Amino acid sequence: MSFAPQFFTTAESLVDSLDKKILVLLRDGRKILGVLRSYDQFANLVLQDSLERIYVRDAYGDIERGVFIIRGENVVLLGEIDCDVEDALPLRQLPIQDILEMQREEAEEKARKDKLRFQLLHKQGFSVDFADSDLY
Amino acid sequence: MADTAAALTVEEPLDLVRLSLDERIYVKLRGDRELRGRLHAYDQHLNMVLGEVEETITMVDVNDEVQTQSLRSVNRTVPMLFVRGDGVILVSPPSRAA
Amino acid sequence: MLFYSFFKTQVGQQVTVELKNDLAIQGVLESVDQFLNIKLRDIHVVDPERYPHMLSIKNCFIRGSVVRYVQLSPSTVDTALLQDAARREAQSTQQMNQAKPNVAQA
Repeated sequence: MSFAPQFFTTAESLVDSLDKKILVLLRDGRKILGVLRSYDQFANLVLQDSLERIYVRDAYGDIERGVFIIRGENVVLLGEIDCDVEDALPLRQLPIQDILEMQREEAEEKARKDKLRFQLLHKQGFSVDFADSDLY
Repeated sequence: MADTAAALTVEEPLDLVRLSLDERIYVKLRGDRELRGRLHAYDQHLNMVLGEVEETITMVDVNDEVQTQSLRSVNRTVPMLFVRGDGVILVSPPSRAA
Repeated sequence: MLFYSFFKTQVGQQVTVELKNDLAIQGVLESVDQFLNIKLRDIHVVDPERYPHMLSIKNCFIRGSVVRYVQLSPSTVDTALLQDAARREAQSTQQMNQAKPNVAQA
Protein backbone atom coordinates (compact mmCIF):
# COMPACT_ATOMS: atom_id res chain seq x y z
CA MET A 1 0.00 0.00 0.00
CA SER A 2 1.31 3.44 -0.82
CA PHE A 3 0.36 6.77 0.65
CA ALA A 4 0.39 10.01 -1.24
CA PRO A 5 3.28 12.07 0.16
CA GLN A 6 0.99 14.93 1.22
CA PHE A 7 -0.48 12.73 3.99
CA PHE A 8 2.84 12.57 5.85
CA THR A 9 2.52 15.93 7.48
CA THR A 10 4.03 14.93 10.86
CA ALA A 11 7.30 16.01 9.25
CA GLU A 12 5.84 19.36 8.32
CA SER A 13 4.41 19.96 11.78
CA LEU A 14 7.62 19.22 13.73
CA VAL A 15 10.06 21.02 11.45
CA ASP A 16 9.47 24.32 13.29
CA SER A 17 10.69 22.75 16.54
CA LEU A 18 14.03 21.51 15.13
CA ASP A 19 17.09 22.78 17.04
CA LYS A 20 14.85 24.36 19.67
CA LYS A 21 14.52 23.57 23.36
CA ILE A 22 11.47 21.36 23.82
CA LEU A 23 9.68 19.39 26.51
CA VAL A 24 8.59 15.83 25.74
CA LEU A 25 5.95 14.22 27.92
CA LEU A 26 6.23 10.42 27.86
CA ARG A 27 3.52 7.83 28.39
CA ASP A 28 5.04 6.67 31.68
CA GLY A 29 4.74 10.24 33.01
CA ARG A 30 8.37 11.27 32.59
CA LYS A 31 9.24 14.74 31.32
CA ILE A 32 12.34 15.13 29.16
CA LEU A 33 13.77 18.52 28.22
CA GLY A 34 16.29 18.88 25.43
CA VAL A 35 17.13 20.22 21.99
CA LEU A 36 15.23 18.47 19.18
CA ARG A 37 17.76 17.30 16.60
CA SER A 38 15.81 14.75 14.52
CA TYR A 39 12.44 13.02 14.14
CA ASP A 40 10.39 10.97 11.65
CA GLN A 41 6.75 10.34 10.70
CA PHE A 42 6.16 8.09 13.76
CA ALA A 43 7.30 10.93 16.04
CA ASN A 44 10.46 8.97 16.93
CA LEU A 45 12.66 11.73 18.37
CA VAL A 46 16.34 12.47 18.98
CA LEU A 47 17.10 15.00 21.74
CA GLN A 48 20.51 16.42 22.61
CA ASP A 49 21.69 17.81 25.98
CA SER A 50 18.60 16.32 27.56
CA LEU A 51 17.45 16.43 31.17
CA GLU A 52 14.83 14.36 32.89
CA ARG A 53 12.88 16.74 35.13
CA ILE A 54 10.91 15.30 38.04
CA TYR A 55 8.12 17.44 39.45
CA VAL A 56 6.60 16.96 42.88
CA ARG A 57 4.00 19.65 43.66
CA ASP A 58 5.82 23.05 43.35
CA ALA A 59 9.35 21.57 43.37
CA TYR A 60 11.47 19.85 40.74
CA GLY A 61 14.81 18.12 40.30
CA ASP A 62 16.89 17.33 37.22
CA ILE A 63 18.84 14.27 36.04
CA GLU A 64 21.21 14.69 33.07
CA ARG A 65 20.39 12.24 30.28
CA GLY A 66 22.68 13.36 27.40
CA VAL A 67 21.51 12.22 23.95
CA PHE A 68 18.05 10.68 24.21
CA ILE A 69 16.29 8.67 21.48
CA ILE A 70 12.57 8.25 22.05
CA ARG A 71 10.39 5.70 20.29
CA GLY A 72 7.35 7.55 18.92
CA GLU A 73 4.66 5.38 20.52
CA ASN A 74 5.84 6.57 23.94
CA VAL A 75 5.38 10.25 23.14
CA VAL A 76 2.33 11.96 24.61
CA LEU A 77 3.15 15.54 23.79
CA LEU A 78 5.96 17.70 22.54
CA GLY A 79 5.96 21.35 23.61
CA GLU A 80 8.05 24.34 22.63
CA ILE A 81 9.46 25.98 25.76
CA ASP A 82 9.12 29.73 26.16
CA CYS A 83 12.40 30.44 28.00
CA ASP A 84 11.23 33.82 29.37
CA VAL A 85 8.18 32.25 30.99
CA GLU A 86 10.22 29.30 32.23
CA ASP A 87 12.66 31.52 34.15
CA ALA A 88 9.82 33.33 35.95
CA LEU A 89 7.93 30.23 37.13
CA PRO A 90 7.12 29.95 40.86
CA LEU A 91 8.85 26.56 41.14
CA ARG A 92 11.83 25.72 43.32
CA GLN A 93 14.68 23.42 42.34
CA LEU A 94 15.74 20.85 44.94
CA PRO A 95 18.66 18.39 45.03
CA ILE A 96 17.76 15.29 43.05
CA GLN A 97 18.01 12.98 46.09
CA ASP A 98 15.32 15.01 47.88
CA ILE A 99 13.04 15.02 44.85
CA LEU A 100 13.43 11.27 44.31
CA GLU A 101 12.46 10.66 47.93
CA MET A 102 9.39 12.92 47.60
CA GLN A 103 8.47 11.21 44.34
CA ARG A 104 8.68 7.77 45.95
CA GLU A 105 6.39 8.82 48.81
CA GLU A 106 3.87 10.30 46.38
CA ALA A 107 3.91 7.16 44.21
CA GLU A 108 3.35 4.84 47.18
CA GLU A 109 0.39 6.90 48.35
CA LYS A 110 -1.11 6.89 44.86
CA ALA A 111 -0.62 3.13 44.44
CA ARG A 112 -2.37 2.46 47.74
CA LYS A 113 -5.39 4.61 46.83
CA ASP A 114 -5.55 3.28 43.26
CA LYS A 115 -5.75 -0.28 44.55
CA LEU A 116 -8.82 0.57 46.62
CA ARG A 117 -10.38 2.51 43.72
CA PHE A 118 -9.88 -0.23 41.16
CA GLN A 119 -11.35 -2.90 43.42
CA LEU A 120 -14.57 -0.92 43.74
CA LEU A 121 -14.74 0.07 40.04
CA HIS A 122 -14.15 -3.51 38.95
CA LYS A 123 -17.20 -4.61 40.96
CA GLN A 124 -19.25 -2.03 39.01
CA GLY A 125 -18.21 -3.58 35.70
CA PHE A 126 -15.69 -0.96 34.64
CA SER A 127 -12.51 -1.78 32.81
CA VAL A 128 -9.43 -0.96 34.85
CA ASP A 129 -6.78 -2.16 32.41
CA PHE A 130 -5.60 1.37 31.62
CA ALA A 131 -4.23 1.53 35.12
CA ASP A 132 -1.24 -0.72 34.56
CA SER A 133 -0.16 0.37 31.11
CA ASP A 134 -0.93 4.07 31.03
CA LEU A 135 0.21 5.72 34.22
CA TYR A 136 1.26 8.95 32.53
CA MET B 1 -28.63 -5.13 -4.84
CA ALA B 2 -30.05 -1.65 -5.12
CA ASP B 3 -28.24 1.07 -3.21
CA THR B 4 -31.30 1.94 -1.13
CA ALA B 5 -31.78 -1.68 -0.02
CA ALA B 6 -28.07 -1.99 0.82
CA ALA B 7 -28.33 1.14 2.94
CA LEU B 8 -31.01 -0.46 5.14
CA THR B 9 -29.59 -3.95 5.69
CA VAL B 10 -27.28 -5.01 8.48
CA GLU B 11 -24.55 -7.34 7.24
CA GLU B 12 -21.67 -6.37 9.48
CA PRO B 13 -21.44 -4.81 12.95
CA LEU B 14 -20.68 -1.31 11.75
CA ASP B 15 -23.89 -1.25 9.66
CA LEU B 16 -25.73 -0.96 12.95
CA VAL B 17 -23.67 2.12 13.77
CA ARG B 18 -24.40 3.57 10.33
CA LEU B 19 -28.14 3.18 10.93
CA SER B 20 -27.69 5.16 14.17
CA LEU B 21 -26.47 8.29 12.37
CA ASP B 22 -28.44 11.34 13.52
CA GLU B 23 -29.82 9.30 16.47
CA ARG B 24 -28.92 9.53 20.13
CA ILE B 25 -26.63 6.65 21.06
CA TYR B 26 -24.96 5.32 24.20
CA VAL B 27 -21.18 4.81 24.21
CA LYS B 28 -19.21 3.07 26.96
CA LEU B 29 -15.56 4.05 27.14
CA ARG B 30 -12.41 2.99 28.95
CA GLY B 31 -11.59 5.05 32.02
CA ASP B 32 -15.02 4.60 33.68
CA ARG B 33 -16.78 6.92 31.27
CA GLU B 34 -20.11 6.78 29.49
CA LEU B 35 -21.51 9.09 26.81
CA ARG B 36 -24.98 9.77 25.47
CA GLY B 37 -25.17 11.93 22.37
CA ARG B 38 -26.31 12.39 18.77
CA LEU B 39 -24.10 10.54 16.30
CA HIS B 40 -22.92 12.80 13.48
CA ALA B 41 -19.98 10.80 12.12
CA TYR B 42 -17.96 7.61 12.66
CA ASP B 43 -15.30 5.58 10.87
CA GLN B 44 -14.02 1.98 10.94
CA HIS B 45 -11.95 2.66 14.10
CA LEU B 46 -15.12 3.90 15.86
CA ASN B 47 -13.74 7.41 15.98
CA MET B 48 -16.91 9.49 16.33
CA VAL B 49 -18.30 12.98 16.41
CA LEU B 50 -21.23 13.33 18.82
CA GLY B 51 -23.46 16.32 19.44
CA GLU B 52 -25.28 17.42 22.63
CA VAL B 53 -23.22 14.98 24.66
CA GLU B 54 -23.86 14.02 28.27
CA GLU B 55 -20.80 12.44 29.82
CA THR B 56 -20.93 10.41 33.04
CA ILE B 57 -17.66 9.68 34.83
CA THR B 58 -17.71 7.22 37.73
CA MET B 59 -15.26 8.18 40.44
CA VAL B 60 -14.25 6.64 43.73
CA ASP B 61 -13.72 8.76 46.81
CA VAL B 62 -11.17 7.21 49.15
CA ASN B 63 -11.61 8.45 52.69
CA ASP B 64 -8.65 7.55 54.89
CA GLU B 65 -10.11 8.71 58.19
CA VAL B 66 -13.14 6.42 58.19
CA GLN B 67 -11.52 3.77 55.95
CA THR B 68 -14.32 3.84 53.38
CA GLN B 69 -14.64 4.23 49.64
CA SER B 70 -17.74 5.50 47.91
CA LEU B 71 -18.78 5.73 44.27
CA ARG B 72 -19.73 9.06 42.80
CA SER B 73 -21.00 9.97 39.34
CA VAL B 74 -19.88 13.22 37.77
CA ASN B 75 -21.93 14.53 34.84
CA ARG B 76 -21.05 17.17 32.30
CA THR B 77 -22.37 18.25 28.94
CA VAL B 78 -20.36 19.02 25.82
CA PRO B 79 -22.09 20.55 22.76
CA MET B 80 -19.82 18.94 20.14
CA LEU B 81 -17.27 16.22 20.81
CA PHE B 82 -14.82 14.14 18.79
CA VAL B 83 -14.21 10.76 20.50
CA ARG B 84 -11.14 8.69 19.60
CA GLY B 85 -12.15 5.12 18.72
CA ASP B 86 -9.44 3.30 20.69
CA GLY B 87 -11.20 4.16 23.95
CA VAL B 88 -14.56 2.77 22.88
CA ILE B 89 -15.80 -0.40 24.59
CA LEU B 90 -19.33 -0.56 23.18
CA VAL B 91 -21.81 1.46 21.14
CA SER B 92 -25.52 0.97 21.69
CA PRO B 93 -28.08 2.23 19.18
CA PRO B 94 -31.25 3.99 20.37
CA SER B 95 -33.96 1.79 21.81
CA ARG B 96 -36.37 0.60 19.11
CA ALA B 97 -39.11 -0.15 21.64
CA ALA B 98 -42.48 1.17 20.56
CA MET C 1 -9.69 9.64 5.99
CA LEU C 2 -13.03 11.11 7.12
CA PHE C 3 -11.77 12.56 10.39
CA TYR C 4 -8.50 13.76 8.87
CA SER C 5 -10.58 15.77 6.37
CA PHE C 6 -12.93 16.86 9.14
CA PHE C 7 -10.11 18.17 11.35
CA LYS C 8 -8.62 20.04 8.39
CA THR C 9 -11.88 22.04 8.25
CA GLN C 10 -11.32 22.88 11.95
CA VAL C 11 -7.87 24.44 11.46
CA GLY C 12 -7.82 27.94 12.97
CA GLN C 13 -10.65 27.14 15.41
CA GLN C 14 -10.43 27.13 19.20
CA VAL C 15 -10.57 23.52 20.47
CA THR C 16 -10.00 21.66 23.75
CA VAL C 17 -8.02 18.43 23.47
CA GLU C 18 -8.49 16.03 26.38
CA LEU C 19 -5.81 13.36 26.72
CA LYS C 20 -6.13 9.87 28.17
CA ASN C 21 -4.12 11.02 31.20
CA ASP C 22 -6.90 13.61 31.90
CA LEU C 23 -4.71 16.56 30.85
CA ALA C 24 -6.98 19.00 28.96
CA ILE C 25 -5.40 21.62 26.71
CA GLN C 26 -7.23 24.48 25.06
CA GLY C 27 -5.72 26.17 22.03
CA VAL C 28 -6.04 27.08 18.38
CA LEU C 29 -5.83 24.07 16.04
CA GLU C 30 -2.80 24.73 13.87
CA SER C 31 -2.49 21.47 11.95
CA VAL C 32 -3.48 17.80 11.84
CA ASP C 33 -2.03 14.81 9.97
CA GLN C 34 -3.30 11.40 8.86
CA PHE C 35 -2.60 9.84 12.30
CA LEU C 36 -4.73 12.63 13.80
CA ASN C 37 -1.63 14.04 15.51
CA ILE C 38 -2.59 17.57 16.48
CA LYS C 39 -0.65 20.80 16.71
CA LEU C 40 -2.05 23.56 18.94
CA ARG C 41 -0.86 27.14 19.40
CA ASP C 42 -1.43 29.70 22.19
CA ILE C 43 -2.38 26.91 24.56
CA HIS C 44 -3.53 26.96 28.13
CA VAL C 45 -4.03 23.95 30.35
CA VAL C 46 -7.46 23.60 31.98
CA ASP C 47 -6.08 22.65 35.43
CA PRO C 48 -2.61 24.31 35.52
CA GLU C 49 -1.85 23.61 39.21
CA ARG C 50 -1.81 19.88 38.53
CA TYR C 51 0.54 20.22 35.55
CA PRO C 52 3.38 22.63 36.49
CA HIS C 53 5.53 21.32 33.60
CA MET C 54 3.02 22.76 31.09
CA LEU C 55 3.25 26.35 32.34
CA SER C 56 6.10 27.37 30.03
CA ILE C 57 4.64 25.76 26.89
CA LYS C 58 3.06 28.03 24.26
CA ASN C 59 2.70 25.70 21.27
CA CYS C 60 2.56 21.91 21.30
CA PHE C 61 2.35 18.76 19.21
CA ILE C 62 0.05 16.06 20.60
CA ARG C 63 0.39 12.48 19.40
CA GLY C 64 -2.98 11.29 18.03
CA SER C 65 -2.88 8.00 19.93
CA VAL C 66 -3.03 9.69 23.36
CA VAL C 67 -6.14 11.76 22.61
CA ARG C 68 -9.40 10.84 24.34
CA TYR C 69 -11.65 13.70 23.18
CA VAL C 70 -11.53 16.89 21.18
CA GLN C 71 -14.18 19.42 22.20
CA LEU C 72 -15.32 21.54 19.28
CA SER C 73 -17.41 24.62 18.78
CA PRO C 74 -20.78 23.41 17.40
CA SER C 75 -21.24 26.49 15.22
CA THR C 76 -18.18 25.39 13.17
CA VAL C 77 -19.58 21.91 12.42
CA ASP C 78 -22.02 21.26 9.55
CA THR C 79 -23.68 18.15 10.99
CA ALA C 80 -25.73 17.31 7.87
CA LEU C 81 -22.61 17.41 5.72
CA LEU C 82 -20.75 15.31 8.28
CA GLN C 83 -23.46 12.63 8.35
CA ASP C 84 -23.46 12.41 4.54
CA ALA C 85 -19.67 12.11 4.57
CA ALA C 86 -19.91 9.32 7.17
CA ARG C 87 -22.38 7.38 4.99
CA ARG C 88 -20.14 7.76 1.95
CA GLU C 89 -17.09 6.68 3.96
CA ALA C 90 -18.98 3.59 5.22
CA GLN C 91 -19.90 2.65 1.65
CA SER C 92 -16.39 3.09 0.27
CA THR C 93 -14.83 1.18 3.18
CA GLN C 94 -17.23 -1.71 2.60
CA GLN C 95 -16.45 -1.79 -1.14
CA MET C 96 -12.74 -1.78 -0.40
CA ASN C 97 -13.15 -4.73 1.97
CA GLN C 98 -15.25 -6.68 -0.55
CA ALA C 99 -12.64 -6.13 -3.26
CA LYS C 100 -9.96 -7.73 -1.06
CA PRO C 101 -9.79 -11.52 -0.64
CA ASN C 102 -11.19 -12.41 2.78
CA VAL C 103 -8.31 -13.93 4.72
CA ALA C 104 -10.49 -15.11 7.61
CA GLN C 105 -12.61 -17.30 5.34
CA ALA C 106 -9.77 -18.65 3.20
